[in-house]
Amino acid sequence: MSGHDSKYFSTTKKGEIPELKEELNSQYKDKKKDAVKKVIAAMTVGKDVSSLFTDVVNCMQTENLELKKLVYLYLINYAKSQPDLAILAVNTFVKDSQDPNPLIRALAVRTMGCIRVDKITEYLCDPLQRCLKDDDPYVRKTAAICVAKLYDINAELVEDRGFLETLKDLISDNNPMVVANAVAALAEIQDNSARPIFEITSHTLSKLLTALNECTEWGQVFILDALSRYKAADAREAENIVERVTPRLQHANCAVVLSAVKMILQQMELITSTDVVRNLCKKMAPPLVTLLSAEPEIQYVALRNINLIVQKRPTILAHEIKVFFCKYNDPIYVKMEKLEIMIMLASDRNIDQVLLEFKEYATEVDVDFVRKAVRAIGRCAIKLERAAERCISVLLELIKIKVNYVVQEAIIVIKDIFRRYPNTYESIIATLCESLDTLDEPEAKASMIWIIGEYAERIDNADELLESFLESFPEEPALVQLQLLTATVKLFLKKPTEGPQQMIQAVLNNATVETDNPDLRDRAYIYWRLLSTDPEAAKDVVLAEKPVISDDSNLLDPSLLDELLANIATLSSVYHKPPEAFVSRARTAAPRPDDEEYPDGGETAYSESPSHAADAAPAPVTAAGTSAVTHAAAKQPAPPATVPAAAPVPDLLGDLMGLDNSIVPVDQPTTPSGPPLPVLLPSSTGQGLQITAQLVRRDGQIFYNIQFENNSQIVLDGFMIQFNKNTFGLAAAGPLQVPPLQPGASARTLLPMILFQNVSTGPPSSLLQVAVKNNQQPVWYFNDKISLHAFFVEDGRMERANFLETWKNLPDANEVTKDLPNAVINSVDATIEHLTASNVFFVAKRRNASKDLLYLSTKIPRGIPFLIELTATVGIPGVKCAVKTPSPELAPLFFEAMETLLK
Amino acid sequence: MISQFFVLSQRGDNIVFRDYRGEVPKGSAEIFFRKVKFWKEDEAEEAPPVFNVDGVNYIHVKVAGLLFVATTRVNVSPSLVLELLQRIARVIKDYLGVLNEESLRKNFVLVYELLDEVIDFGYPQTTSTEVLKSYIFNEPIMVDAARLPPLGPAAMFMQGAKRMPGTAVTKSVVANEPGGRKREEIFVDIIEKISVTFSSSGYILTSEIDGTIQMKSYLTGNPEIRLALNEDLSIGRNGSSIYDYHSSSGGGTVVLDDCNFHESVHLDSFDIDRTLTLIPPDGEFAVMNYRMTQEFKPPFRINALIEEAGPLKAEVLLKIRADFSPSVTANTITVQMPVPSYTARASFELEAGAVGQTTDFKEGSKRLEWCLKKIVGGAEHTLRAKLTFSQESHGNTTKEAGPVNMNFTIPMYNASRLQVRYLQIAKKSKTYNPYRWVRYVTQANSYVARL
Repeated sequence: MSGHDSKYFSTTKKGEIPELKEELNSQYKDKKKDAVKKVIAAMTVGKDVSSLFTDVVNCMQTENLELKKLVYLYLINYAKSQPDLAILAVNTFVKDSQDPNPLIRALAVRTMGCIRVDKITEYLCDPLQRCLKDDDPYVRKTAAICVAKLYDINAELVEDRGFLETLKDLISDNNPMVVANAVAALAEIQDNSARPIFEITSHTLSKLLTALNECTEWGQVFILDALSRYKAADAREAENIVERVTPRLQHANCAVVLSAVKMILQQMELITSTDVVRNLCKKMAPPLVTLLSAEPEIQYVALRNINLIVQKRPTILAHEIKVFFCKYNDPIYVKMEKLEIMIMLASDRNIDQVLLEFKEYATEVDVDFVRKAVRAIGRCAIKLERAAERCISVLLELIKIKVNYVVQEAIIVIKDIFRRYPNTYESIIATLCESLDTLDEPEAKASMIWIIGEYAERIDNADELLESFLESFPEEPALVQLQLLTATVKLFLKKPTEGPQQMIQAVLNNATVETDNPDLRDRAYIYWRLLSTDPEAAKDVVLAEKPVISDDSNLLDPSLLDELLANIATLSSVYHKPPEAFVSRARTAAPRPDDEEYPDGGETAYSESPSHAADAAPAPVTAAGTSAVTHAAAKQPAPPATVPAAAPVPDLLGDLMGLDNSIVPVDQPTTPSGPPLPVLLPSSTGQGLQITAQLVRRDGQIFYNIQFENNSQIVLDGFMIQFNKNTFGLAAAGPLQVPPLQPGASARTLLPMILFQNVSTGPPSSLLQVAVKNNQQPVWYFNDKISLHAFFVEDGRMERANFLETWKNLPDANEVTKDLPNAVINSVDATIEHLTASNVFFVAKRRNASKDLLYLSTKIPRGIPFLIELTATVGIPGVKCAVKTPSPELAPLFFEAMETLLK
Repeated sequence: MISQFFVLSQRGDNIVFRDYRGEVPKGSAEIFFRKVKFWKEDEAEEAPPVFNVDGVNYIHVKVAGLLFVATTRVNVSPSLVLELLQRIARVIKDYLGVLNEESLRKNFVLVYELLDEVIDFGYPQTTSTEVLKSYIFNEPIMVDAARLPPLGPAAMFMQGAKRMPGTAVTKSVVANEPGGRKREEIFVDIIEKISVTFSSSGYILTSEIDGTIQMKSYLTGNPEIRLALNEDLSIGRNGSSIYDYHSSSGGGTVVLDDCNFHESVHLDSFDIDRTLTLIPPDGEFAVMNYRMTQEFKPPFRINALIEEAGPLKAEVLLKIRADFSPSVTANTITVQMPVPSYTARASFELEAGAVGQTTDFKEGSKRLEWCLKKIVGGAEHTLRAKLTFSQESHGNTTKEAGPVNMNFTIPMYNASRLQVRYLQIAKKSKTYNPYRWVRYVTQANSYVARL
């Protein structure tokens, strides 16, 4: 025993490094070993001990395994920063790989594979070749993994040296550990290669199924996961596979169980016999339930997976709802998942039990959990018609406890229940009205107001109730204002008496003159005009029958569900997102500096993009929204504090105040007149609506210059726009400001845009997917192309010295060159001027033979510079463009932009 | 596969950090800790065990107050990683005897050596302490176990029960005893965690037992062991619902819903005479996990009542009865009851002659807490409390209080009646007679009575 290791952390009076150096060169083995330990200790706390490299490497030649391992640990850490010195260790590595002791042989290849230095890698091949055929299984299994390491460093080398073939041979090895590692290595290599490398034939299948029984638990997971890619030829083969995998369900290791479940679910797709399927479901249920007895972390993973399985095969756990009842000591993340599954499994048979549970949860302490429990009751009511009444009576009981957030949440869900079962449960409105004064959350207030407006004819004092809200109209959040506006209009249409008439005037006045909110203003103007021109039409619009809602808010789209089910027992099944949505395998990709985050795996369904601006401002007719919408709205990130000034307001007031019926003139002072915009949605596709648009840069700000042309026969209004996730996270900075479009009219607007709102992952792409909707037509989707030059910022100018320095500091690999055949420089000076206007700044120029060379710089947001060299002959089309940038992956987009600018 | 593994203290200090693939930036531990600490800004909500920040997936478990974390960029099996993290913690505990910040820091070289054998290039290789022994050369440095708070499920034996050798809990599997000779002994613990929910009228709404037969062997030469369970043990319930109590609870047989076994267990004769054969590897491991929803007699009955006594007052009555044999004693009992949020004060009245009982009103979380050092089987204890409200109640105090939640440990008691009939060790010689400890213990998992 060597005393306390922690003493190695203490510092000494003398300079630490020289002292260590001395000790490392000591002739006493113990002292040497202690010194290496001290070095490692310093290394683990982040001190730089790389200067001791030579001295530590000198300790490598020892028979003492403990010391050797320490030196290896050091080497792995520092070889990268000292590649020239690392070569000193090569001889010992190669020697060790032939040591009589198998542990040393394995240690040598294992460590060499971890050192990502070319010079070491060159020497790794021969030892690796030998070790893959070593007599000792420990060496072989280590070598198998080492092939994957080498592939990661240098894939070509692996293929050239035939390591893949050797690795495939190891699948037939007699040692299950070796088989498992070979499978793991092949699976990883396959993941990173486009061409087929590791194909599972029925022959390998049977070999692997045999190895499965003898493997360690981890090896079983490797093999099961690899086999899950195998597609059985027919139902019989599928049944055979399942039969051999089923015993794995009995394993104590949850990972083995889940991987086996995945495999079985996959094969079940092929099995036609309903008896067999039913039997399999029966066999899978108890192990799935048992996962909920594991640690809470595992429970969480299991619950997220069960959520998917139940959506696909609801019967599998139909009788097990009790195991999803929340335990007192479950962590909140487990409770939330359990609630979700309880809703899915709730049926007419068990709803009484389930409601009893929900009622209990709704009186617990954790506010989020309580809210979710109250919502769960509402969702059950919407899902199970026969139980709706019982659900409502539970909600009423909860309201009576008068806990504020419970009451508010209950009112929100009751509004949804009213929408699902119109004209059924209005008798409870009186009870709801008692809580009117306590409502302080926008969503709850809005819901209550919607209820009052919708049933104004049955509430005797509806006008008084609404009036009490109107007093604070200017201070209310937009959500509440919009509902108040609509509810007052409904009230007026239903009870056109004096009181409501005064109210409507006050509201319309408030909502047009005294507000900055364009959504509110637009809606108010529409109502105003409707009411003043054709009250009957107003009735048809405002009091129209609403579509019935259903509780599909948390169900996944079938095709996504199938994809996720194929990914059971992976992270994908926990996040409920397909793998490509979060896996970025780029080793070189520079980490983004900010804290931009994926919408977390929480409870959002994947299909919701994080900012549902369009949904958050509901159209008048479906004012109440569905629970799905409110859900999305809650998830929506708060708008940034510095929203750029909203687009200019058209001066329409005069016209409208006079309630003139003439066509609203589209007169926007700042609307740019310029070249025609590209057509993105032709009239033929858009039922008469044509959309042309382009990204532009004005005054240091990115705008979406978009024009709408109404070639249809009807008035189009309520335009909204939304952008899908894209490489630059472009999103609208404010609402779209388009007046109602009469037939034949057109409107053009500059929509301010912000960046990095909903960034998509994956390789950079210029694709910008846009959705536009209005109140009359279906949602239109079209694709636009992001032109990078709209991003070139104003401060991208570089001094000559700075340019040279930056150029030198960027690695050569970051330089990309392309010929731009359509570009032309007709005059150097004119081109410079033109480019400067587009924020591409001139640095220097020179002449070489007949060619002109221009050096330019530009920058895009987040400070990513582009250093540019243009080579061209004046007047002759074809410009050679070389660019060097920290983000060379953006080069293709950059070239496109340059070609556009130089046309 | 996993890219990095690290262990953080509760304060976020990096205790162990190992990078296996170099594809995740170095600052990941800090990013992780910040994320977990401030998962929800205003609430003390726990972060889920799996989440993604900037394309890096963070997977973590909490063990003994430490955070065991793995990072990865690829679509791994999260249950594999979570199991692996638990297993790493267990292997380290096997080696070090105790698992805490101090023992990790003192043994960092050994820990790194272990990590290199357990994981290669992010792929788990082996987590068997037995197998690892042949590749590990460092020896553990023991920390003084006596002044450490007890950890792990076996720790419960340290309290009260004198028969249990307390040192076993914190003994390393590999280190030699100070005397030089290793004591030959084997521990078999039947640990059951029970969850019961009583309705307001005292009916059992749900009940469940999660059991583990845990083994820790210090036998040299790894002899074969036979473990015999109840002969009438049956597994799997028939019929449409496993919760159908009427069909199967008669007859006194023990019926498990489901069970699973450690990979070293041979089940050849299990179907015939319910015996398990195994050669126990070194270190602590679960021989068998089982789950039971068959009706059983709950060890405690809880009676709770809250009644308004005037506009700003209420009275609480808590009564617990121990429904087990007087030869058994439960210890470290805690009864908690949330009270209405507008409760300002509470005064308590214990029964006459109460010993080893304490009461407290937790202002912050608004709950009554009643702790009892021990309860002997058959005994009944009562607590009365008077509450003063800061505002008038809405006449719904019953709905705003509760549920009552109870925590306890009962050594030498198991609710499932699953028994180890005998523990047979293949004999090397006549004189070979190692110590065998078969211990039962029952703990509350979620033991709740609704009001």
